[in-house]
Amino acid sequence: MNDTFPIVEKLADWRERALEFEREIQKAVLGQARVIRLVTICIFARGHVLIEGDVGVGKTTLLRSVSRALGGDFVRVEGTVDMMPSDLLYHTYLGDDGRPRVDPAELLRLAETLPVFFFNEINRARPQVHSLLLRLMAERSVFAFNRVHHFPFLNVFADRNMVEREETFELPAAARDRFFMEIPMATPDDEDARRRLVFDPAYYDTETLLERVKPGSLDYRKIPEVARAIQTEVNSSEALERYVLNLWRALVKPNSAGVSLPDVDVGSLIKGGASPRALAALARAARVRAWLEGRDYLIPEDVRDVFIEVMAHRIFVDPIHALRGDDIVKSLCHAAFDATPVP
Amino acid sequence: MRIACFALALFATLPAFAQDIAVRIRSARPFGYFVGDLIHARVDVSSPANATLSRASLPKAGALSGSLDLRDVELHETSENGARLWRLDLTYQNFYVALDVREIEIPGFDLTLLTAAGAETVKVPAWRVGVSPLREITPQKQEEATDYMRPDGSAAFVDEATPRHFAIGAGAAALLALILVARDRAWPPFQMRKARVFSALANEFSAQRIASGGVDFGALTQSVHRALDRANGATLLSADLPAFLLRRPEFAPLRDDFERFFAASKERFFSGQQSSNDFRAEQLAQFVSALARLERSG
Repeated sequence: MNDTFPIVEKLADWRERALEFEREIQKAVLGQARVIRLVTICIFARGHVLIEGDVGVGKTTLLRSVSRALGGDFVRVEGTVDMMPSDLLYHTYLGDDGRPRVDPAELLRLAETLPVFFFNEINRARPQVHSLLLRLMAERSVFAFNRVHHFPFLNVFADRNMVEREETFELPAAARDRFFMEIPMATPDDEDARRRLVFDPAYYDTETLLERVKPGSLDYRKIPEVARAIQTEVNSSEALERYVLNLWRALVKPNSAGVSLPDVDVGSLIKGGASPRALAALARAARVRAWLEGRDYLIPEDVRDVFIEVMAHRIFVDPIHALRGDDIVKSLCHAAFDATPVP
Repeated sequence: MRIACFALALFATLPAFAQDIAVRIRSARPFGYFVGDLIHARVDVSSPANATLSRASLPKAGALSGSLDLRDVELHETSENGARLWRLDLTYQNFYVALDVREIEIPGFDLTLLTAAGAETVKVPAWRVGVSPLREITPQKQEEATDYMRPDGSAAFVDEATPRHFAIGAGAAALLALILVARDRAWPPFQMRKARVFSALANEFSAQRIASGGVDFGALTQSVHRALDRANGATLLSADLPAFLLRRPEFAPLRDDFERFFAASKERFFSGQQSSNDFRAEQLAQFVSALARLERSG
């Protein structure tokens, strides 16, 4: 408590810095205010992110901007079908003397100073790689060179290839549940933003674009401490907690809460997910959102604003509905909100 | 009037059991009745002033024989020369198909008079009337068999226009009445009328005398939230307010009140802060009344 007290005192200052951080990112990433807000929430909730988006919408630019604004290092790997876990940890090469050498790979080498690790096309990698990544995400540590390496500031950002099905390995349910949020990133709807992205030369060169972002607007080494303080200082009332629990029941037992969807038997729709870990993540994300909005207490809007991104990828439906994609889960979430009264 | 035309008294005064009791039967004519004709007869029974005719003893209308019905019986009470007169108007109908001129008998019956001495039976005797055939028994010879038959009567012309117009008018009136009843009872398709949730809530608040204070502000706020949810069709949060007011523009004039309400609710339920309940409760009642007023006009 004594450690967090100074941070608690400065939470208002940190909020200003967080908003400044968002503004810095927006200098490089156009028309993605919502995505940037969600990424900021993940950073201050210490949650890993699954980014879902089409190719070329600016995912890498976003994450490199985040890395630059946080002031730390940035590591990016591309998932491939022949990638093995050791490829993430070890760098093997022939030395000047012609003898094979094994050095730490970039991920391992930057462990102490790495806030952003971007795993592109995670579903191209094999389940062995997923396993290593899950360990890294859950414990922020890996075992290599006969010792444990810690990643104290790490946030994993992964991207799924949603276009192709060949040579891909869909993430298992347990792996998806480890991701704090699944953030959809689409082309901006705003006409002016679209025009600038296409015709403004500033957006042609990522390196030049990144120079717009002031380095180190947040100190990534302070983030864990600030994150703890936010969770301590933002309160949830009894009415709010009852509301979240009612929402939970509406999701797992839709019939009992009067939730219905057209053409779907909601009683047999949900097969798993919506775990206590998921609900805890929801509360964490909502608290950060409340803090960013300048409040020290939660309101239902905080919960609803982050609900789909935190919960939808952790809810698993009957296989007969799986081909309908995530839309049916999102519809269920919206129906649960419509049917759950508050306060 | 009909009886006043009687021309013939069939029987003179007849002796009865008691000295003061007399019976007279009169008919319009004693002959000339065809099948189906009505035969009117008047029976006058004179009795002492203190005697009463038992109505139970009057003859009952109905078939008297295979060819004679008693159609109607009327009793009138009057006085004549200091005596009480019971006037009985009887209507018979003759169904006897006579082949020649002959007389048929109208059967007699008994009447009971109640006097101070006790009940006395007065006998009205049978009497006869003459009936006649409609045509001769053997008609004049005809060349064709069909000549013996009467031609068919022509069918009466019935104008359909008037009943048709009447039927159409009555049908339209019935349909209009059905529509009015369906609207009143909210039968389909009139069940889609928006429920007046705020009016119901305003009445509830009025019944609870909200403005006078001493009520649970939290429960009142929740009831307003539930009414807003019903009006919205889903749970309404403060962030949904702009979209709600776009869908229900009749409530747009109360935008500031909505925002104050949501702010007060947020403070009460989520921030953990409390403030003066009475003042807020009064404002809440006014807010609901304004909502109800706009709901009725919308």
